[in-house]
Amino acid sequence: MRRRSLVKGSVLMPTDNDSPFLLDRHRRGLQNLDRMAHYREDEEIDLLVVGAGAGGVTLAQRLVRAGWKVVVLEKGPLWDPDRDWVSDEKGSAGIYWTDKRIIGGNDPIELGKNNSGVGVGGSMTHFAGYVPRFHPSDFEVKSVDGVGADWPISYRDLRRSFERIELELPVAGQDWPWGDPHSYPHGPHPIAGAASVAWQGARGCGIEMRVGPVAITNGVFGNRPHCIYRGFCLQGCKVNAKASPLITHLPDAIEHGVEVRADSMAIRVEVDEASGRCTGVTYVADGSEHFQRAAAVAVCGYAIETPRLLLNSTSSRFPHGLANGSDQVGRYVMVQGATQVAARFPIELRMYKAPPPEVSSEQFYETDEARGFARGFSLQTLSPLPIGWAEHVQADGHWGHALREYMRDYNHWTVLGSLCELLPQPENRVTLAHETDQYGMPVANFTHSLCDNDKANIAYATKVMEEIWESAGAQDTLKIDRYAHLVGGCRMGFSPEDSVVDSSQRAWEVPNLYVVDGSVFPTEGAANPALIIMALADRVAELLKAKRAGPVPTTTRRREKASLAS
Amino acid sequence: MTYGDFSQAHHLPKQRGDRGPVDPKGLPRQRRGITPQMHGRYPDYDVLSQQGHWDEETRRVVTDRVDNVPAIAFFAPDELETATAFCDLVLAQDEDPRIPVVNYVDEKLAQGRGDGYRYFDLPDDTETWRLVVRGLDQEAGRRGAERFALLAYDDQLEVVTRFSKGELHGGVWSLLNVSRAWSVTTRYALEAFYSHPWAWNEIGFGGPAYPRGYSRFGSPHLQDAERETWEGAQAFDVDPVEDVAERGVE
Repeated sequence: MRRRSLVKGSVLMPTDNDSPFLLDRHRRGLQNLDRMAHYREDEEIDLLVVGAGAGGVTLAQRLVRAGWKVVVLEKGPLWDPDRDWVSDEKGSAGIYWTDKRIIGGNDPIELGKNNSGVGVGGSMTHFAGYVPRFHPSDFEVKSVDGVGADWPISYRDLRRSFERIELELPVAGQDWPWGDPHSYPHGPHPIAGAASVAWQGARGCGIEMRVGPVAITNGVFGNRPHCIYRGFCLQGCKVNAKASPLITHLPDAIEHGVEVRADSMAIRVEVDEASGRCTGVTYVADGSEHFQRAAAVAVCGYAIETPRLLLNSTSSRFPHGLANGSDQVGRYVMVQGATQVAARFPIELRMYKAPPPEVSSEQFYETDEARGFARGFSLQTLSPLPIGWAEHVQADGHWGHALREYMRDYNHWTVLGSLCELLPQPENRVTLAHETDQYGMPVANFTHSLCDNDKANIAYATKVMEEIWESAGAQDTLKIDRYAHLVGGCRMGFSPEDSVVDSSQRAWEVPNLYVVDGSVFPTEGAANPALIIMALADRVAELLKAKRAGPVPTTTRRREKASLAS
Repeated sequence: MTYGDFSQAHHLPKQRGDRGPVDPKGLPRQRRGITPQMHGRYPDYDVLSQQGHWDEETRRVVTDRVDNVPAIAFFAPDELETATAFCDLVLAQDEDPRIPVVNYVDEKLAQGRGDGYRYFDLPDDTETWRLVVRGLDQEAGRRGAERFALLAYDDQLEVVTRFSKGELHGGVWSLLNVSRAWSVTTRYALEAFYSHPWAWNEIGFGGPAYPRGYSRFGSPHLQDAERETWEGAQAFDVDPVEDVAERGVE
């Protein structure tokens, strides 16, 4: 048994990220904002990052530690969870990307609160908290299963990055038996009544479940407190117990000289027509256009905004959008089939308590030819709050008195969700619409349709969930067909013809342009994407670090910083 | 049928087949706080009594929904009447006290901030709402009433039933995808209703939970012992005779 499975909790701390010590025990906002660096717009910084989410902030934190001058542009605000977030569903609308986007295709994907974040921290401010790893098979889907695509990197290339990020979030969960078996730095959280019913039902069907893995502290972590099990993970964690780059990487990045420009919407990556290199980014802040020069640009805007920005960055050298010479930008966008089945039990379960993510199973993750389709799915417990529960009831066809009746029954219900791996398809894509937004930029048009393999996968997962509830003794069930997560759109690959970026996530066509977010995924696995995006950023930073070694800034030692923060 | 024991599921619509939902008047009257139509499962539970335990930002947002109902700014008077009747039907609010759902729908439409997506076969949410209101009035006209709000209850019910199934055609309905318009408009109404603390009283939801959090979050083996001390008990978990004696009321 490896050492890590024996040494749990606060004994193990990350060695190259002091963020948890730079927070305050009693206030949630960042305490070192007054030490944030400021760069002039006409100064050529080393790297300009667009988007302060899982990819962008992690990349920035790694590179400022290596001495790079980095500015991060973020469309939304720099959150202070004490001031800006509320313990309320409807009141949290501001943390979702709610600008206009058009959805189409045979199976349109609802965006907004379901899958799109805004502001520093990105979608991780409101993700549920599940942070599973990919399986080794996820990187060779085409070779092994004959569908989708292979990644130009392997599980081995990311394994160290997974371990580092898991320590920094930190991740709590039981020892993990699936994929590459591994353990987690924090032990599993206690599970609530709602999840234990699912556990029992699964066991009755011969299905193994495990607690976690969730990016929620189990015990104090630096100055981050223990989870208080209030159940509002999807509304932004006011406790600072659930991880997002806002608290896991940005405090350390500020300490090492990053500048985050919030409320700044990037609208074009500019290029030098002669050399074909990008020169910086034009963005809108305070109602006017600005231009920041940079030696390199990393676009980290996620699966809709990254393609949209590149497609909008046209020039005579790149008439169809930046890095889009092979018509690959915006293609192969993927979501996961996330049908949920709710079940009713005789006793009160009060599923609004405890974090929505509790126990999960990857027993059906890999291809099983007997099931009649390629690839598989994960199962995870969820627990919608009243508005989410109402949408679930309504999706099963109830309104009026029937809806009110199911709603009154809320405390007797619990929910299982699936994450089905859907296959990449070129026509599931982001294009630019004719309409423009408040910045004068064309809005994204996202079309999505399921293929037969996708439909078979979702149907099978739904059947398994229904079997679990039957085995658990459910008295009634309600189903909602939905989708979760967004990846792809600027995939990494083996040649300029089949992809936008190479294995180092550098654009084939633009030597100083990188894409560091979920849009580079060639396939999506049946895992929630947050950890994988952060691990990819960690890996890209490892590759880049040595390339531009500025003078390493003098850093205060951890103990001194802790006293500064208190 | 009356309700009886909530450990059973006989009262749930899908278990009742064609008989339709149970008349909620069989539920207990609310004794503390307010629920929509004053019936509910937790007659002595008032989530607003817990507001001293909420953080200031959340308390302001939630109590505003009760104390500062926004004035109508989006719907014209005729539209408002139809939209109100539609929202009340979708949420079965057939008598007072009612959660002012249409005011919150109106507020969101007036702000023009959507939910972050628009179906390719629908106009913007604001225009979808206006078209749906016109469409409902059009259906009323086909049944001899001037406006939807003036239709008899059963006729209103029939129109909305057909709307929910995407079975309305012609005229205004040819301008949008009817099924998706149902999904968009009901989404606004559900959000307005189930963000209101009166609805939380009705369903026994704990409401805001910061900074207090939860310490007893349920175990199938411990049941009632695992409820927070301040959380409400379900009406039929309580023996009325003992309950009255315990609480010292006549």
